[in-house]
Order: sequence, then structure tokens, then C-alpha cells
Amino acid sequence: MSNSPGNDPHQPIDELAGEYVLGTLSAERRREVQRRMLDEPALRAAVEAWEERLLPLTNLAEPVTPPPRLWARIERSVNELVAPIDTSRREIVRWWQSLSLWRGLAGAGLAASLVLGITLLMRPSLNAPSYLVVLVAPQDKAPGWVIQASNSQEIQLIPLSVTEVPADKALEFWTKADGWQGPVSLGLVKPGETLHVPLDKLPPLQPNQLFELTLEKSTGSPIGKPTGPIQFIGRAVKVI
Amino acid sequence: MLCRWRIDLSSHESHFDYEATLDACARGERQALERLYAQESARLLGVAQRLVRDSALAQDIVHDAFIKIWTRAASFDPSRGSARGWIFSITRNLALNTIRDNAREIQDDGDDQSLEAQATLEGWNQTVDSFDWRVNPGRIEFCLEQLEPVRRNCVFHAYVDGYSHQEIASKLGAPLGTVKAWIKRSLTALRECIG
Repeated sequence: MSNSPGNDPHQPIDELAGEYVLGTLSAERRREVQRRMLDEPALRAAVEAWEERLLPLTNLAEPVTPPPRLWARIERSVNELVAPIDTSRREIVRWWQSLSLWRGLAGAGLAASLVLGITLLMRPSLNAPSYLVVLVAPQDKAPGWVIQASNSQEIQLIPLSVTEVPADKALEFWTKADGWQGPVSLGLVKPGETLHVPLDKLPPLQPNQLFELTLEKSTGSPIGKPTGPIQFIGRAVKVI
Repeated sequence: MLCRWRIDLSSHESHFDYEATLDACARGERQALERLYAQESARLLGVAQRLVRDSALAQDIVHDAFIKIWTRAASFDPSRGSARGWIFSITRNLALNTIRDNAREIQDDGDDQSLEAQATLEGWNQTVDSFDWRVNPGRIEFCLEQLEPVRRNCVFHAYVDGYSHQEIASKLGAPLGTVKAWIKRSLTALRECIG
């Protein structure tokens, strides 16, 4: 590894943000920026400033009139998202799968605390989880999944909305606590399904432990480390 | 090769209230999404298609972008940028993630030493514009004008075509390290000029 531009981990934030928005970063470095933006408001602000600065350049791409079927397809997908819940299925549809609830909650900063509050209020019969993680989309902080751990040996990854995954790809679930060498795979995730993950092969959960879902090949990352873009990311919060 | 494009010069964004439209999407008003689609789908598809170079894939990206716009409209924060910028960024990010993940080549993020000998900088002054870029009213046009055409072309090939450093270097026949330096300096210049 050299220190050439685009490669230096200590590259100034503004330069990194500029290359990110320009599009010249590799998949790996794009993922790194998307991850860092969650914790670094300065980097996020720099990216947003570059997005505004360069927006007029989108005019250089000649418009392409879409075929009528494209809107029909979008409309169909939107209908599927907001389809009224069939009565026979009502019992099995859980509160956290209500899209209108989540759309209402999507305001970035509020989402995490509200999820904590609502989860505790609405599930009084269960043991309060000792850890909660809200996994949000890197770009806009929209919550996509909740992780709850009612003990330190198993966690549940619960979908909040439909995550679209291309046919030849899969979502892979990763975690990394402070001091670990790198992220550890917790397996592949099926969109829309709750995943139970035993943690007995790993040290106990820690506050601030990082969790993320990345888009990988359908068989998972070939190298045991995330290679695809982060779809959702969050850190563990200890519930008092 | 010189590629020139005819650009729509109409001030398409001036009479459309993007922010109010996103607000309406956040409230679940389907017609608002349809209005946004009518307003921007052709430009978004154009942007995506230039980046991914495949019309079916570009349509997938615009589809996914509109679903994201619909489901995440409530998270749009006008204090952090324009509503129009937000929808274009969603689309560009989907497209860029796609092309970088399916990298058409092994990405070379560093290690330029072997390439430095391939070309000298002499002669680049003769480069002409590859893009008919004088289409944007306001500050950025002035600032782009301050860059040498070859550096301007690097910026356009990256932003509009989605070319990696390596692809730009191949396209221009310039050393990789030189292209990286040009882009880096162009960004610095643009930031200082646009503010």
C-alpha cells in the first residue's frame, strides 16, 4: 500500500468526501466512507456539501425517457409496501412490521430512542432485552432492522421493512466489538425474516459493539470479511 | 474521442417544489411520488444509465431509488441539503455502489509506480473538452472554466461516466498517478472556487 491519493487512511476528510461523491473510490473505500459517516458528522457534512456542489453536473447526462412499464413497476412495489393487512394475517403481523409506524418514526435522531421506548412499552410480558441495536441505512438513517438480546448468548435480528436484495446477492450479518481484529460474520440473512443467532462462539456482547448488514455474493463474502456495501449499520446500546 | 451531448437547457427545477413533494411522500401521498417521477424520472434514468451503461440495470436502479425515496422521505432533512440533491444522491449512490461492487476490473487504489513512465505531461495542454459542459448556470460553470480541459474531463468522466481512476487513465492514455493528482487538485480548486 502506498500513500497515493485515494489510498491514505488519514486522507483529509474533505478530499475523501469529494472523491466519494465524484465516484472514484473503490467498493471497499466507498463502504468505509459510508461506515464512517455514521460516526463522523464532519465527514457526513463534507459529503453533503460535495453532493450539492456537484449536483449541476448531473445535467451532463442526457435524459432517457423511461418505458411506461417502469412507473407501473414502481407503483406495484409501492402497493406491496403499503398493502392493507389482510385480516387473516393480522395476528401474525407484529407491530414493528407496520410500515406506516416506521415511516413516521424515520426521523433520524429520534428513531433509536423511540425504538427503545416503544419496544419496552409494548412488550411488557417479555424480559426487557439487555441490549438493543437499531440498524439504520447509512445514507439517510432510516431504520431497517432491530437487534435485541435478552441474554448475552443469543441475539435476534428483526426486520422492520422490506429490504430489497438483488437475485444474485445476499445480506450478510457482521459484528465487531472494540478491540477485535475485524468484523466476524454472523451468517446470511433472509430479507424480511427474523434471524436467531447464538453468540456462544463469541465473547459476550459489549456496549457500543458494531453490527452491520452488507450486500455480498449469494454465498456470502468469499474472504470472511465484508466486501460489499453496507446496507444497515448500528451500535449496541445497553438497556437500563 | 470527442463526445458531445445536447443538454436540455430549460430551467426544469425552478417551478417544482421538491421539498413539499417529499413532505407529501412522507405523509403517504402516492400522487406526490408520481409527480416527482413525472418531473425527474428521465433525468434520473439518464444519470443511472450513463453510470451503469445498461438500460435494464439503470431501470432497476431508478425503481429502487423511487422505493427508497418513498420509504425514506420522512428522513429527508432540508437543513442538510436540497431535496433535489437528495433524490439524485440516492440514485447516484445506488448506481455507484452497483458498478464498484461489480468492478469491471481489479481496482488499483495505490501502487502507481510502474505507470509513471508511460506518458509525459507535455501535450496535455492541447486537450480539448470531451463534454459540452457549459450548461449550468451559476457558480460551477465559472469554476469549471478555471480548470484545464484535461482536468475538467477527468472530473466529468468520474462523475458522469462513473469511471474509476484506472479507467480514466486508460481512456486518456495518461499515467494513473497523474490522473489521481489531477482529480485531487481539481476537487481542491472546485471547492475553493464554489465555496
